[in-house]
This record gives sequence, structure tokens and C-alpha cells, in this order.
Amino acid sequence: MNALIERINLNAVLARVELNDLLRRVDLNDVLDQVDLNRVIDRVDVNQVLDRVDVDRLVARLDMNALIERVDVNEIAGRIDIEALVKNTDLGAVMVSSSTSLLTEAVDLGRSHAVSLDDTLARWVSRLWRNHTERPGPPALVNPQEES
Amino acid sequence: MTGPAEVGLPVTTPSSAPARHVPLTTRQHLRGHYAGFASRFISFVFDCAISIGAFELTLVAASFAASVLAGTSIHWSRGNIWVIVGFFAWEFFYYAYFWTASGKTPGMVLLGVQVVGEEGGHAGTRRGVIRALAFPLSFILAGCGFLGILLGRDRRALHDVIAGTAVVYCWDAREARLRSLARRSSARRS
Repeated sequence: MNALIERINLNAVLARVELNDLLRRVDLNDVLDQVDLNRVIDRVDVNQVLDRVDVDRLVARLDMNALIERVDVNEIAGRIDIEALVKNTDLGAVMVSSSTSLLTEAVDLGRSHAVSLDDTLARWVSRLWRNHTERPGPPALVNPQEES
Repeated sequence: MTGPAEVGLPVTTPSSAPARHVPLTTRQHLRGHYAGFASRFISFVFDCAISIGAFELTLVAASFAASVLAGTSIHWSRGNIWVIVGFFAWEFFYYAYFWTASGKTPGMVLLGVQVVGEEGGHAGTRRGVIRALAFPLSFILAGCGFLGILLGRDRRALHDVIAGTAVVYCWDAREARLRSLARRSSARRS
């Protein structure tokens, strides 16, 4: 048998095979279905792959201006909890030293209490008079949809 | 007429849709919202104290000047017709001047409220003067003229409706709240 195989010219045989025709007959989806990708990925050393990546070159190819243009800065700013920021950082101390005095403090306090009273009265009226509707402010100053 | 932006108020898209009562909190900036009864009443009390105090001081000063210059002392009686006329003229001047000039009397400055036109712009001279003239009407009608502040959709008193004005908050409550938080955090750290 071995002698017979040795006498066959495999190159000549392969030359006669129509490989494209053969590949056309192969269902690649079927082949891929049989591949366990998780096992393949498990065998890949991601760190080694990353070591080969030239991050500087990658960043250099990025158009940062185009990237920033796509970022909604207002939305990011809206997500910042300014109150927590003021409470927990030295920003508060800076604000205090730059903008407040005893008089400002007293005025702020008085105004806040007056607004609380306004709100309490408005709530009472709202309870007593169920159909009572009110506008938040003059049309040129306040957009009601914005407030609700 | 001056626009809202020129009187330091925010300008937003106009809309006339009414809304149910939205609680006012100092987490909002409040600027441009219709001012409530308490803020307006307290500012009025301050204004009374300031204007009456100033009037009394003027009478005392006039008495003193007369005694120094003419050597005769003048005793002002509260029932004196000239004193009464002078008092009402002074009160009219006091309110009309501040409402036409900036929309804010000293009491209103303290409470952070401001008189604006009903559409939100500067009140202006004509409306300021009409408001000062119509102001006593709200008292004369047994105080019923003020009910609009509590029950009206726009929190407008009778004199506001007559003059075509409204009273809004003009202070930044959110800024004040941040200042208060900053003070607390600063006190905690020191």
C-alpha cells in the first residue's frame, strides 16, 4: 500500500482538483457553528495582544475635535451633583470666603423662609380649591413646561 | 420698553399653558416665578417701616430746623391735614419712584421680589405710577384687592391687574442654597 502511495504524484492530483468549486460547496456557517469561540478566546492572551498595540499611534489617529463635538457637555454637566460637590470638597470654603457675609447669610435665610411660607400658603389654597391652577411666572420669564 | 434680559431676569420660550401648583423649593433658581403672598407682605411691612420712619424723621428734622432758624418750635399733630396730605404724597412718591425706576422698593430688594410688566418686561414709568395710584384701592376694598395674590393664577393683586403688572422673585435661590451648603461644609471642616 505504501509503495502504491509513494508512486502517486500528489501534486499532480491536487493540481486537478478545482479548489474554488470545493470551497463553494462548504457551508462556512455550519463550520463556524461547531467552533467554540469562548474556548478560542480563553486561549488568547489579551494582555499580550494589548502589549502589541501602539496606543499612542491609535490616539494620534483620533480626531479629538470630532469626538468632543459628539459629546453633549450640557448633559454631562447636568449629571454633576453640584450640591454634593460643594458639600464634600473645598469648593464650598472658596465660595464662602469669596461671596458671603453675615448680611448675605441673613438675607438668604429670610428669603428662604418667606418662600417656604409662600409655598405653604399656595399648597393650602391648592387643597381648598381643587380646580385651582396657577402659572409659574410671566410668559417671557418662565416656561411652564420647563418647570413641570 | 426694556426687555426682561435687561432687568436681569432669564428669558425663556413663551408659553401660556397653565400648570398645577408646582412646589417652589430653593433647589430651583426661582427667578421669574410669581412671588407669593408672604414674600410680598413681608416686603410691604419693611417698606412701611422704612417709608414711615423716613417721613417721621423728615418731620423731626423740619421741627429742628424751624427751631434753630426761626426760633419757633413746630409741633406736628397726626390729625393735621397737611401732615396727612404730606404723608400720602410721600408714600405715593416712595412707591411710584422705586417701581418706575427699578421695580423694587427697598423692602422688595430685601425679600428678592420685583415688579415687572404682566408679560415679564420692565414695569416702566406709566405702569409704575398707575400701580402706585391703584395701590390704596386694594386696601380700601377691605383688603379684598389682595386676594388675587392667594387665589389668582398669576398671583396678581387688584392694583397689579389695573396697572398691568406682576410681582416675581428676582433672587437666585439655588445660588443661595449652594452658599448655605458651602457655609455648612466650611464650618464642619474648621
